[in-house]
Amino acid sequence: MSHTLDSKVPGGDIAQKWTNYKFNSKLVNPSNKRKFSVICVGTGLAGASASATLAELGYKVKAITMHDSPRRAHSIAAQGGINAAKNYPNDGDSVYRLFYDTVKGGDFRSREANVHRLAEVSNNIIDQCVAQGVPFARDYGGLLANRSFGGAQVSRTFYARGQTGQQLLIGAYHAMMRMVGAGKIQLVPRQEMLDLVVVDGKARGVICRDLITGETVRHMADAVLICTGGYSNAYYLSTSARMSNATAAWRCYRRGAAFANPCYVQIHPTCIPVSGDHQSKLTLMSESLRNDGRVWVSKLKGDTRAPGDIPESDRDYYLERIYPSFGNLAPRDVSSRAAKRMCDEGRGVGRSGLAVYLDFKDAIARDGENVVREKYGNLFDMYHHITDENPYKMPMRIYPAVHYTMGGLWVDYNLMSTIPGLFVLGEANFSDHGANRLGASALMQGLADGYFVIPATLSNYLGSTKLEKISADHEAFSAAENDVQVRVNKLVSANGSKTVDEMHKELGKVLWERVGMGRTEAGLKEALKEIPKIREEFWSNVKIPGDSKDYNLELEKAGRVSDFLELGELMARDALIRDESCGGHFREEHQTPDGEAVRNDEKFSHAAAWFYEGEGKDPTRVEENLSFENVKLAVRSYK
Amino acid sequence: MGNHGTIQKDHSMTLNVQAWRQAGPQQKGKFETYKIDNIIPEMSFLEMLDVLNQKLIKEGLDPISFDHDCREGICGTCLMVINGDAHGPERGITTCQLHMRTFKDGDTIVIEPARAKSFPIIKDLSIDRSAFDRIVSKGGYVSINTGNPQDANALPIAKENAELAMDAAACIGCGACVAACKNASAMLFVGAKVSHFALLPQGQPERTERVLNMVEQMDAEGFGNCTNTGACEAACPKEITLENIARMNREFMKASLVKRKC
Amino acid sequence: MLQLLKTSIFKKFVMGLTGLGLSGFVLGHMTGNLLLFKSAEAYNHYGHAITSNPIYPLISWGLIACVVLHMIMGLWLAKDNYQAKSGTYALASTSAKDSTFASKSMMYTGVLILFFITSHLYGMKYGTYYEVTYDGVEMRDLHRLILEVFQSPLNVFWYVISLVVLCIHLSHGVSSIFQSLGFNHPRYTPVIKIIGVVYAVVVAVGFISQPIYVYLVH
Ligand SMILES: Cc1cc2nc3c(=O)[nH]c(=O)nc-3n(C[C@H](O)[C@H](O)[C@H](O)COP(=O)(O)OP(=O)(O)OC[C@H]3O[C@@H](n4cnc5c(N)ncnc54)[C@H](O)[C@@H]3O)c2cc1C
Ligand code: HEM
Ligand code: HEM
Ligand code: SF4
Ligand code: F3S
Ligand code: FES
Repeated sequence: MSHTLDSKVPGGDIAQKWTNYKFNSKLVNPSNKRKFSVICVGTGLAGASASATLAELGYKVKAITMHDSPRRAHSIAAQGGINAAKNYPNDGDSVYRLFYDTVKGGDFRSREANVHRLAEVSNNIIDQCVAQGVPFARDYGGLLANRSFGGAQVSRTFYARGQTGQQLLIGAYHAMMRMVGAGKIQLVPRQEMLDLVVVDGKARGVICRDLITGETVRHMADAVLICTGGYSNAYYLSTSARMSNATAAWRCYRRGAAFANPCYVQIHPTCIPVSGDHQSKLTLMSESLRNDGRVWVSKLKGDTRAPGDIPESDRDYYLERIYPSFGNLAPRDVSSRAAKRMCDEGRGVGRSGLAVYLDFKDAIARDGENVVREKYGNLFDMYHHITDENPYKMPMRIYPAVHYTMGGLWVDYNLMSTIPGLFVLGEANFSDHGANRLGASALMQGLADGYFVIPATLSNYLGSTKLEKISADHEAFSAAENDVQVRVNKLVSANGSKTVDEMHKELGKVLWERVGMGRTEAGLKEALKEIPKIREEFWSNVKIPGDSKDYNLELEKAGRVSDFLELGELMARDALIRDESCGGHFREEHQTPDGEAVRNDEKFSHAAAWFYEGEGKDPTRVEENLSFENVKLAVRSYK
Repeated sequence: MGNHGTIQKDHSMTLNVQAWRQAGPQQKGKFETYKIDNIIPEMSFLEMLDVLNQKLIKEGLDPISFDHDCREGICGTCLMVINGDAHGPERGITTCQLHMRTFKDGDTIVIEPARAKSFPIIKDLSIDRSAFDRIVSKGGYVSINTGNPQDANALPIAKENAELAMDAAACIGCGACVAACKNASAMLFVGAKVSHFALLPQGQPERTERVLNMVEQMDAEGFGNCTNTGACEAACPKEITLENIARMNREFMKASLVKRKC
Repeated sequence: MLQLLKTSIFKKFVMGLTGLGLSGFVLGHMTGNLLLFKSAEAYNHYGHAITSNPIYPLISWGLIACVVLHMIMGLWLAKDNYQAKSGTYALASTSAKDSTFASKSMMYTGVLILFFITSHLYGMKYGTYYEVTYDGVEMRDLHRLILEVFQSPLNVFWYVISLVVLCIHLSHGVSSIFQSLGFNHPRYTPVIKIIGVVYAVVVAVGFISQPIYVYLVH
């Protein structure tokens, strides 16, 4: 079967594309909208904002989440902030600069037109959120405050203490609950999507498992939106919420939606280091800390002195030394690898030697403890609770951890996947961040997709597509439901000897070591041997207590791990073929003498989209060429 | 245990966990006691439960159901009552932020779900808090559609009010206030939501309707009344203050007086 | 209006208003009764001045209304609150998260006070009617009644106990009024809390001094 990718980027000047698109797109007249039904799977930033907006427009929306409430989605954990090109601080920001920074930050592996649209709507997002009552931080004059984030030389990040994601999600949740109250959204909590239903080549519904009763449920609609977040949890340890998973996206992949750039994974430089085998997740310390914290290690190898006993002269503020113009604010991938290099050199700190210091001594001396507390109080408290160390008194210990996945379901300019009627929003898609995401731009993207992009592109689809009347008795629904039940039953009947977590940790270890911060051809080949072995053992030897007709958390986890075991292999496969270093994908074979990534634009200036070909068959890799007409391809330098 | 060296090598603990087991909403529940060892102080409370559950699964027993997600104190999922305290004995944190260093070798830890009629038990420690969502759906928002609102800076807001609104908006919807309150009252949660909007100019147009409708729904959900005992404030992981309940009381009485229809 | 009456917050508001009225009354009642320490005549004059006042029925009925409303609302709240719980916890919360004894026991102290008020009215207001005449004005000899009542150690004991209970009720109640009526302020509330406790103690000690004094001195 031959697959093609059409990005459907509209013509015209980059700054006019989105305006032109909106003008030319098909509209659905207001009274017809209520005849269309839309399923929105996931109620994080992307899903909640999309559900709310579509319901306001008049569509019949069904919002499905596996959480007990839309307010709990992983988006709630985002700490640092959200970008917008408002230029309130008057430091030279503009839509174009945000666009430029994001393309460059993504290491020239994103689609220019999408990124420009993102930058364009960024300002609307802030207006919208403020109008909703999101309590962003303000200055004494009562106007909005900004701070700076990695990869940018302007202050364009809006924030609400260290709880920006929470406040934005609560804002979107409020908007959504308003529509639930008005009867325009049917909220379906505690159901997990386990399959996509495709009828006549178009996405027409999903099959869910009611997590409390264990029953499978059919949902039918005219279009399906996947807003289910990223797949960092494939690594077992990541900064993602524990329920975050790739299941919805993966099952769409198995039904024909292409999965793009699975190897692009972001490793965040500032997380609290692992403390032992029991570790269940990693906690991020927001990147915003790097505004005031200085990163350092000892100049000496194996230095066991307490941080306070190491004199200035023995400290190596390596980020400031190597990247003088960005200093502690160098982008995430660059800072993460620098930390890894320091630890590999034997200069890591703490008991494990797998950490570097993030020191606030100078900031506290300069601004006073109160100012620092006001900015980062809850982060400091969080650190204190976890480590039992007081960061006002001694430097934090930090280490990189898996944090974000740039890869995801492939979408065109309309955010539509390769299956018509299946749209993908937020972290679940591959769209705007290329090979590396800049801080504070995931929140921006999720909300841009939900509030501003999907309303236009969905109406274009519905207004220009003929949809047959179907019912939930359609054979495609029965077949998908049957597939789901078979899979679930297979899991509960394995009755082996290893727990789901044990198997997941095994996968995580392979991924972290071989498809983590530094990747090599040999390592990836190894991973491609190891992962199928773990997968095989999983299906025969996993132990799931209880049965499927019950609230069964182990069974839920098992389903997700089974998908990670397939996705993990695709990640390694993708990483192996992408024989270059770019953004979060660092192939050790391709680096400068001082350890910087070396891209190969001639061969790899494309997005790689993978198509599923069936059980046991190799997937097909199709390239979407990326052309850079506005931002000139250049070596990304933060020196 | 352990020697007296400078590095504590063997600082692991053995604990008795007395956990509430209940198969479903209608079934009767009871306490079950489990002994676990090799618990180290660096573990979080939920990691201790993970260890226990792994052990139960290996022994062919049903693991303890408990809900959790972010494990960093922000999603509000992980509420449970530990030794009589919602989110455990320490103030200002959630269960997932509680660490085992709070406990001693040999301790017995009693773990129960929140007990409130409006939060039915689903299984073991998992509860249904959808009542909170229904309350929010009755007015916990500003009624504006997505579109082109005025520029964000067209509306200056006094820093102090913005901060107070943020204090209230920090609520994570965990339900510890309800769990801790001897009356199972949701006033702190609702008060925080009402305050968030009452303090901001954006909330003014719907100020009257909002508080009346949200309180009506709160009562309809069957939450108890507040008798100002303050247990909620002490249990709240986000340290939402009683000031928010007072503000809601005031907002409510004012709204009841000025509303034009009965 | 009826709708309003059913709402949780309005019930609390009524609790607060009636509590305010009752708290004001007890302080006044206590201070007035301190005339006991001056002379029998002063005491009786005071009682007479009040009961012969044209607005006395208003106060009297107002008080009764307060007690009745307060009690009805209190019991109603208690019923709602009982229904809202689905069981109690195996352990009591630890001190860091505990609330005060007074605040947790308002219902019980309240009911005890109700018993007290009933018996008090029965014994005093509707008790033996002695008469006395000062300067040709006939009035009730409450002083004699008091002396009689507090001859009995049992009565003294009952009063002292009840007043301790009242003290507990008020030690939370007085500051609670402010919260219920919607006043809470980071600067004033801590002060109000202290004043509330002082108020409760002053009222209780002021009252307790009287039976004790009568019992020991007369
Ligand atoms: C610790 C941390 C801090 C971060 N900080 C920042 C920051 O400061 N700035 C920034 O811009 N970005 C930040 N990010 C990234 C950002 O938070 C996420 O990328 C973004 O929130 C993802 O939003 P989403 O709506 O796409 O998905 P999510 O918020 O992950 O929502 C997924 C939704 O899908 C549902 N779901 C998933 N699978 C299923 C299924 N099978 N069936 C039914 N429902 C399902 C879930 O219930 C949930 O509602 C941070 C991320 C982390 C981990
Ligand atoms: C008739 C018997 C009584 C009963 C059953 C009773 C019961 C209660 C109850 C249940 C409360 C609620 C606690 C709260 O919401 O804070 C309360 C509050 C209060 N009571 Fe009583 N009480 C009684 C008599 C009295 C008397 C005689 C006084 C005064 C002398 C009094 C003063 C108060 C005050 C000041 C409050 C606080 C009101 C508020 O919180 O707004 N009570 N009472
Ligand atoms: C030592 C303590 C007290 C003494 C000596 C005392 C004395 C009296 C006397 C002599 C009367 C009769 C007045 C009259 O009928 O004209 C009276 C009435 C009354 N007392 Fe007390 N009292 C005491 C404590 C209290 C307390 C603690 C309360 C309330 C909690 C209280 C509530 C009342 C009420 C409600 C009346 C009736 C008022 C009226 O309607 O006339 N008393 N008291
Ligand atoms: S007010 Fe506090 S305790 Fe109550 S739900 Fe919100 S965060 Fe939890
Ligand atoms: S604990 Fe309950 S009684 Fe009121 S002050 Fe809090 S709601
Ligand atoms: S798991 Fe999210 S708050 Fe505890």
